[in-house]
Amino acid sequence: MRSGSVVEAALRWQQRLSEGGFWAMVTVTVDGRSVKVREQAYVLEACRLAGADVPTLCHHEAVEPYGACRLCMVEVTRPEWGGHTRMVASCLYPVEDGLIVHTATEKVLDVRRVVIDLLLARCPNTPLVRQMARKLGVEETSYEKAAEPTDCILCGLCTRVCDAIGPAAISAVNRGIGREIAPPFKEPPPACIGCLACAEICPTGHIKYQTSDTSRTIWGKTFEMLRCSRCGRAYVTREQAAFFERTRGIPASYMGLCDSCKRKVLADTAAQLCVTR
Amino acid sequence: MERIFRVVVERCIACGKCELACAFAHGEQGVPGRSRIVIDRRGPNVGIPIVCLQCDDAACVAVCPVAALCRNELTGAIEVLAERCIRCKMCVAACPFGNMLWDSAYHRVAKCDLCGGEPRCVPFCPTHALEYVPADRAGATPEKVIADSTL
Repeated sequence: MRSGSVVEAALRWQQRLSEGGFWAMVTVTVDGRSVKVREQAYVLEACRLAGADVPTLCHHEAVEPYGACRLCMVEVTRPEWGGHTRMVASCLYPVEDGLIVHTATEKVLDVRRVVIDLLLARCPNTPLVRQMARKLGVEETSYEKAAEPTDCILCGLCTRVCDAIGPAAISAVNRGIGREIAPPFKEPPPACIGCLACAEICPTGHIKYQTSDTSRTIWGKTFEMLRCSRCGRAYVTREQAAFFERTRGIPASYMGLCDSCKRKVLADTAAQLCVTR
Repeated sequence: MERIFRVVVERCIACGKCELACAFAHGEQGVPGRSRIVIDRRGPNVGIPIVCLQCDDAACVAVCPVAALCRNELTGAIEVLAERCIRCKMCVAACPFGNMLWDSAYHRVAKCDLCGGEPRCVPFCPTHALEYVPADRAGATPEKVIADSTL
């Protein structure tokens, strides 16, 4: 048993917690396979547990579901619905006992093709979008390509992760076709701590940054790095360290050295201890 | 938690087998530089293996903004849920012992997870410097190791 994918981990935790009576479990049928899943889960989690391939762009385990990309659409039904089905975004539809989910019917695939077709018109040059489109059988968009192609698919992962961490330095601005992700007044955001989580979580790599052991630039703001006082290596910015010191109570003294210099200090301590005679 | 990972520092001969075992257990390439147990080499055949202490009140868990680090109650190890991690590297900076590592090859943070209850480094240690002992024996003085002529 090795810690691998989150599916394995989720399964393990679910099993452990359901055995302890921590979570009530419900049974859902996904593509003919019946899976047990915790009551608070959404259909997407049940699909992943059943091993069904449901494509997503705006979903990340670390943040709340959002339902922006609509690629995870599935068809749900119940025996008592008499053959009637509903198309739902699986990331936002709560599971219920006895729910029957179909993840790859022709209707579902049609909807996904339209969604990726539209995304391809907006982002004709984005590798990830192109790859997902090809997988769904769409080579070129049937709509007019955007005059100014972008890599941003407006999935909102960057703003959600920034909210989750705390600074909330960026947000979606304007509406309709003018909607974009930007810091307030499109100026360097004062609240940004330079943690790069927005750039790391961005599925298409739209958010650009530069980083080195001395400085880091993102959203037009330049940060000074917190460097190891022995070797000069840096992992985080000064603002980031101060933010987590304030919000999570991690003493600044923990962060003065880099990981390899801290291991040297630990080894020095261990060398002074005598465990055997 | 039935067993505890114990390091008997005096027995380490800095052979590097644990680093290799770890690197192969957690990556396809088996590069010792990427291992989660690191020997601090302090002279010929003298070293100190440094590995995650699985702290009770761990700084890495406290600092993680998205709860991507959580303790596996079966093994007692703190594990990284890779799908939750947002790679802010705060845990790397916050660990006071330097046992949270940044793996640039796989672009992820890495830490000792006790291989899910079966640490791969332990059977490879020729001098029993690394042991995975029952929890009630972990505090006792290590027994004398009988030399094994096959080593």
